[in-house]
Amino acid sequence: MESSNDVALDIIITNVVAVFRTRCHLNLRTIALEGVNVIYKPEYGKVLMKPRITASIWSSGKIICTGATSEEEAKQGARRLARTLQKLGFKVRFADFKVVNVLAVCSMPFAIRLIDFTKNNRPIASYEPELHPAATYRIKTLKATVQVFSTGSLTVTGPNVQTVATAVEHIYPLLFECQKPLCK
Amino acid sequence: MAVVDQRCPRCGSQDIVDDELYSQSQLVCADCGAVVSEGLFTTTRSEETNGTDVRFPNIAESNKQPCRNQIKGIHRVRALGRILRLTFLMEETAESYFRKAYEHPNFINVSLQKKEVLAGCCILATCRQHNWPITMGTLTCLLEANPNLIGVLYREMVTTLKIEAPATSVIDLLEMHCQSYKLSPQDVPEELSETSSNLTKRGSVLLELATDAWLVTGRQPIPVLIASVFLAWQSLKPTQTRMKYSLARFCQIAKVPKSSIAPKRVKEFKEVLCKLGQELPWLRGAEVTLHNVVQMVDDILNFRLTLMQNALRSHEASLASETQLPLSTEDCKPGLDTENPTLDDAVSSEPDKDRIQQQGVVDPTDIVVVEGLSCPARDKDLKFSQSSALSRGKRSLFEPPSVTHYKIRRVQLPMKEVTGDEEISDSEIDSYLRTAEEMRDYVEAQEELDSSDEEI
Repeated sequence: MESSNDVALDIIITNVVAVFRTRCHLNLRTIALEGVNVIYKPEYGKVLMKPRITASIWSSGKIICTGATSEEEAKQGARRLARTLQKLGFKVRFADFKVVNVLAVCSMPFAIRLIDFTKNNRPIASYEPELHPAATYRIKTLKATVQVFSTGSLTVTGPNVQTVATAVEHIYPLLFECQKPLCK
Repeated sequence: MAVVDQRCPRCGSQDIVDDELYSQSQLVCADCGAVVSEGLFTTTRSEETNGTDVRFPNIAESNKQPCRNQIKGIHRVRALGRILRLTFLMEETAESYFRKAYEHPNFINVSLQKKEVLAGCCILATCRQHNWPITMGTLTCLLEANPNLIGVLYREMVTTLKIEAPATSVIDLLEMHCQSYKLSPQDVPEELSETSSNLTKRGSVLLELATDAWLVTGRQPIPVLIASVFLAWQSLKPTQTRMKYSLARFCQIAKVPKSSIAPKRVKEFKEVLCKLGQELPWLRGAEVTLHNVVQMVDDILNFRLTLMQNALRSHEASLASETQLPLSTEDCKPGLDTENPTLDDAVSSEPDKDRIQQQGVVDPTDIVVVEGLSCPARDKDLKFSQSSALSRGKRSLFEPPSVTHYKIRRVQLPMKEVTGDEEISDSEIDSYLRTAEEMRDYVEAQEELDSSDEEI
């Protein structure tokens, strides 16, 4: 994603979380006994299946998929999962697929003074060094959260990939003015 | 209460009162105590004459009294204020915050433990607004609560009440922190004593230096403060006695709680001081090690600006001399992936030439586009980011330590596929066969088990 200063930053998506419904009741014991790569946790009432996507399956038919690295991969993985469940004998339908959360990591080529950054963006940014080494910046309009570390790394979470990219673009100028290379 | 037009049958007095015994109302003579009538099913008529008037304002009270827990909370706020010796105005502010927060729907139904912590958060917010240095660590000790809980509640409270509480910087905290050190001549021997003001002065200069060298941002403040006070104490009088004291012993004599992170900070401080100490002209190139740097701290701090400039210049010069070595091409195209193997080799010995187009100053256009938002092959990406981080650490003299000590992510070894057709060596087979002794033991054990089964 290019921003206006002609700087190219690589935003690496590390996790995409999506949900979908199968519109039918699922027997978790059957999945646990007959499925492959399954962990069954009866106290939570869910099951994990792992072909590159980890899915938490509830008996009501709601499934949460994590571990994908793009929205497309999430959809494909979810479909694959639904196919596996179909083969196990359940009448699954692929319904209500929605990407819920995207987590991305980005790295600035400069270090950032967090105290100055927090002061400049007072109510939106919060920084408590005793609790967490990063400053948290919540963008309400985008519903995205950016955690800024003093080394210049950012972790961005948002509802979809476009939001994440916009958030990085939004925050780049704010960070750029708070960098302070050591030239005295 | 209306007097019933009845007379008491025993004494004939007209003074009959309506007495509520639990739920049964009785008419009782006030003179002799005789019960005139009881168990009357009240009709509206008798209620009108006998019942007490209940005024509407008593039912729907507009001015609500604070509940017991709120009063306790307010007392707690006051007590905390007294312990911390806050001014009257600050106590009042804290109390008003607590009242407002308590009655807000976000906090009214919260558990009692959280309400206790809420009191502490109000104090924290007030102190920050009035520039009174206090750390969350102090609150954690006073409230004996989980620091994460304090953090969460504090943030929620600040957003709910929409107050602005600027965080105190580490240097402001230093003075408060120094006062907790018991290093007056009464407590410790003359050799080791130091006044709080001296420690504060020297410590604040050290902290400024540390802030410039990226040692303070993002770190927990208390270990940084302990490290700076320790180094200040050692450097104010760098005698043999003081030099022999380690950080742990220093904390012991000063009666300050130990910290496991502070020694790391001390080491980082000393490394920065070494880098600057190297530039002292009167040393004439003598080695500055972590051990002998403390004696020079005085000089280093006095001339730190000049030393820093000199250090940066000499670092740039050394980088420039290294870039003279022949390396791969200078173009920064997306074909950097193919250059990764050379980058890897280069990184261990010399900084990669590609990244250092200009010396010292970061040039953002050096960053190579890596396919925007997709995820490139993981190992290439790892090498790229690793090499870029390492080189960035070498590029400038002072970078946050986590950049220079880049953690190499452990690559999970691929699970070996077991097919069952592997070669089995003879020794392995022999180990599976039982020896004669084992066979005898096994047979005996079997017989014993069988006999015990029969008995049962």
